[in-house]
Amino acid sequence: MNCLHKLAGGASMALLLGGCASLSGDGGFGAAAGVSEQRTGLSASVAGRLPRNDDDARALAAVIDKKLGQPLAVDEAVHVALLNNQGLQASYWSLGIAEADLVQAGRLQNPVFDFKRSHGGGELSIERTLTFNLLSLITAPLAGRIEGRRYEQTKLLVSNEALKVAADTRRAWVEAVAANQSAEYAVQVEESAQASAELADRMRKAGNWSAMDVAREQAYHAQTVADVSAARKTAVAAREKLTRLMGLSGAQTAYKLPDHLPELPAAPQELGDIEQIAVNERLDIQAAKLDTAHTASTLGLTKTTRFINVLDLGVVGESEGPINRRGYELSLEIPLFDWGSTRVARAEATYMQSVNLLAQAAVNARSEARESYADYRASYELARHYRDQVVPLRKKLADETLLRYNGMLMSVFELLADAREQSTAVNGYIGALKDYWTAQANLEAALGGRLSGHLPTTKGVTP
Amino acid sequence: MTTRRSFLSGAALIGAGMVTKAGAASLPEAPVQSSAATAPPLVPPNGRPYNPVVTLNGWTLPWRMKDGVKEFHLVAEPVVRELAPGMTANLWGYNGQSPGPTIEVVEGDRVRIFVTNKLPEHTSVHWHGQLLPNGMDGVTGLTQPGIQPGKTFVYEFVARHAGTFMYHPHADEMAQMAMGMMGFWITHPKDPKQHAVDRDFVFLLSAYDIEPGSYTPKINTMLDFNLWTFNSRAFPGIDPMVVRKNDRVRIRAGNLTMTNHPIHLHGHTFEVTGTDGGWVRPSARWPEVTTDVAVGQMRAIEFIADAPGDWAFHCHKSHHTMNAMGHDVPTMIGVDHTGVAEKINKLVPGYMVMGDKGGSMGDMQMPLPENTLPMMSGEGPFGGLEMGGMFTTVKVREGLARNDYKDPGWYKHPKGTVAYEWTGEVPPAPRAPGAPPSKPVEAMNVKRDAKHHH
Ligand SMILES: [Cu+2]
Repeated sequence: MNCLHKLAGGASMALLLGGCASLSGDGGFGAAAGVSEQRTGLSASVAGRLPRNDDDARALAAVIDKKLGQPLAVDEAVHVALLNNQGLQASYWSLGIAEADLVQAGRLQNPVFDFKRSHGGGELSIERTLTFNLLSLITAPLAGRIEGRRYEQTKLLVSNEALKVAADTRRAWVEAVAANQSAEYAVQVEESAQASAELADRMRKAGNWSAMDVAREQAYHAQTVADVSAARKTAVAAREKLTRLMGLSGAQTAYKLPDHLPELPAAPQELGDIEQIAVNERLDIQAAKLDTAHTASTLGLTKTTRFINVLDLGVVGESEGPINRRGYELSLEIPLFDWGSTRVARAEATYMQSVNLLAQAAVNARSEARESYADYRASYELARHYRDQVVPLRKKLADETLLRYNGMLMSVFELLADAREQSTAVNGYIGALKDYWTAQANLEAALGGRLSGHLPTTKGVTP
Repeated sequence: MTTRRSFLSGAALIGAGMVTKAGAASLPEAPVQSSAATAPPLVPPNGRPYNPVVTLNGWTLPWRMKDGVKEFHLVAEPVVRELAPGMTANLWGYNGQSPGPTIEVVEGDRVRIFVTNKLPEHTSVHWHGQLLPNGMDGVTGLTQPGIQPGKTFVYEFVARHAGTFMYHPHADEMAQMAMGMMGFWITHPKDPKQHAVDRDFVFLLSAYDIEPGSYTPKINTMLDFNLWTFNSRAFPGIDPMVVRKNDRVRIRAGNLTMTNHPIHLHGHTFEVTGTDGGWVRPSARWPEVTTDVAVGQMRAIEFIADAPGDWAFHCHKSHHTMNAMGHDVPTMIGVDHTGVAEKINKLVPGYMVMGDKGGSMGDMQMPLPENTLPMMSGEGPFGGLEMGGMFTTVKVREGLARNDYKDPGWYKHPKGTVAYEWTGEVPPAPRAPGAPPSKPVEAMNVKRDAKHHH
């Protein structure tokens, strides 16, 4: 805006105009990275800017290699992805494009010098003109504003992209570690079945068992071998997905993962008004808001007369729902214009389209917040049930089975069958724990940030 | 009373204050026994004289004389019975124990028995083998209504003939007998000299199915019992029968299980001298070392204990000399565990190979489920006895006092009378002339002469 006043100065002002919007030098990366770092708690670059040359690449490789030198914790994996996911890097670069557009929009077009030489009737005419695009001089401020909003929006969308990659990586890591663990338990089950089958064979050789008894044990063993193969296939697929998200190739793909998923935390996060959090924090909502503002701006609709709550558009009839019990206020207001004399149908339609897209985004965000929070809590309860009930009871059963084996009340085959049952229960716990950590990543994605610390909770706060 | 009863095992009789004092004027006392040890014989304090019996791991019910009638008071009630040290069972019994106390009367006695029901369901008492008025026979529905919980019934009859009998419910008997409702009944002959013996032991055979880790019998089990008992005791919880050398010994057993038991005595021959039908005429007695006691039967055997030592006395069904064991456990004998054992141990820490050399667990002392007995246990002077269930010993000793039933400890064998290890050279096994060199034995192809009959 400031720049525009200086136009009055005439052609010499071109220089000034050019100087009022300039390239940031990092293509806007720093700004977007700032948002992503704030949300993920992890830096998005090694050098503070996107890698551009061999030095940068080497520095990045050094940092990543150091991380890959030990079993990769989930946050480390996310960090590697933020630093190294090439799709994300491409998004970062799109920010540079948007910035360039912005800067370009703020600059006057270069003056055009025309030289026209003509002759007719033995007369030579030479015309020299210096053309200066006056129109662009007039529209430059508007274009600058438009591109400025687009740039802001792009920044948000790129940041959101980074959060998505972070969430995907988190889920992929959980998936990969759990798949490994499950494969390991499949091996335990197989070993137990193998021991049964081998013993059955020895029983047969000693003359104590029939071919049918042996076949039964061997058939079971064969099935468990197949199960191991299937579990290993799943583990490979899960690991490769994680590898892709982290953008790793070559020797780096030999990274190690921890043997176990993190244990279930002592308690699940108690989040208060999750819908409000989602509406406030989600970058896609903020980008949609900007888009609406952007549309308004483009249409030159600057005069607002009142605000409407777009959430009301989407949630009519829900106000009695249980989510309102806490008595919070949920609002996402946007200006509604008095169309007045400028009642141009197209302008209104375009604007209302944008408003509705924003409203839908808000409805989606709220629904996703509710769903993912409910899933998060339910996943916690299920995992805790496995940890506190199913697994200990299985262990108790195993102990009691061993006591009965000791008393020659049960056979070694029952002991082995019980060992397999116990493995299955533990595997069930791994599955539940995996679902819990996945639900947590989903919840974070639905709420637009990390759960630990970053997002507001109701702990200790009375509604 | 205490002094008279405490010499053997410290068994204590508790005078029951349980029976309502409202009926005290007419109801005799109902003494309660708290111990599962063998009580000494109850020398009759009044009434006709007789030679009292010794109830193995049990006791005899005291009575009172009222107007020339012997009055007893049985209280049917839930009890906790120690089956052997380390295991108790929630049973139903009489006067604090299961089986209930032995009732001893004399031929011709008029007997009045008060039966108070403290069970949660109706009951009755049938006097197995007695000749009595039909209405005193104790068959619910047929000869009397059930004795409802909290009620007391009176049975009265004359003990008409001497012999060996028992009592048990004839009401929901499948459940009540599986829960341990039973007791011994002796009618002594009028003349104490008739059939007189020096030592007279009695007990009932009973079986229970108590899942290891639990306390109450599974009353619906029909045959697959896991605890085989003499008087609801399993070895090593059964007391030895201590006798003096050259005593004439009588052992009477009644069978209230659902299978027969071939009862076997080592070191002596005996004769079956009595059934629940009465005494066997001397001319009809068979010499035996084993007598089968069928279901619902009583047997009295007699022998002269002329051989000092500790002689095994047991049911000859070998599973009946075992305690709780798995009947579906496959045979592991001869199964090579090399390599597999390590694998299993990795999967099941605490696993040990068992059974590959036989059923004997040797000296293994491994933790078991709660409230159960090792399948085979008991320590003898030469090591593990590897016995359970229906097993005990008859200990014959010289120079015991007439009424001395105390366990004299293990027998001290005279020099040269114990099997010993041969340490000399072992000659090669003799071989039939012309026999082929060592080769696996083949089944003999027996051809039977069709006309040949034995
Ligand atoms: Cu038997």
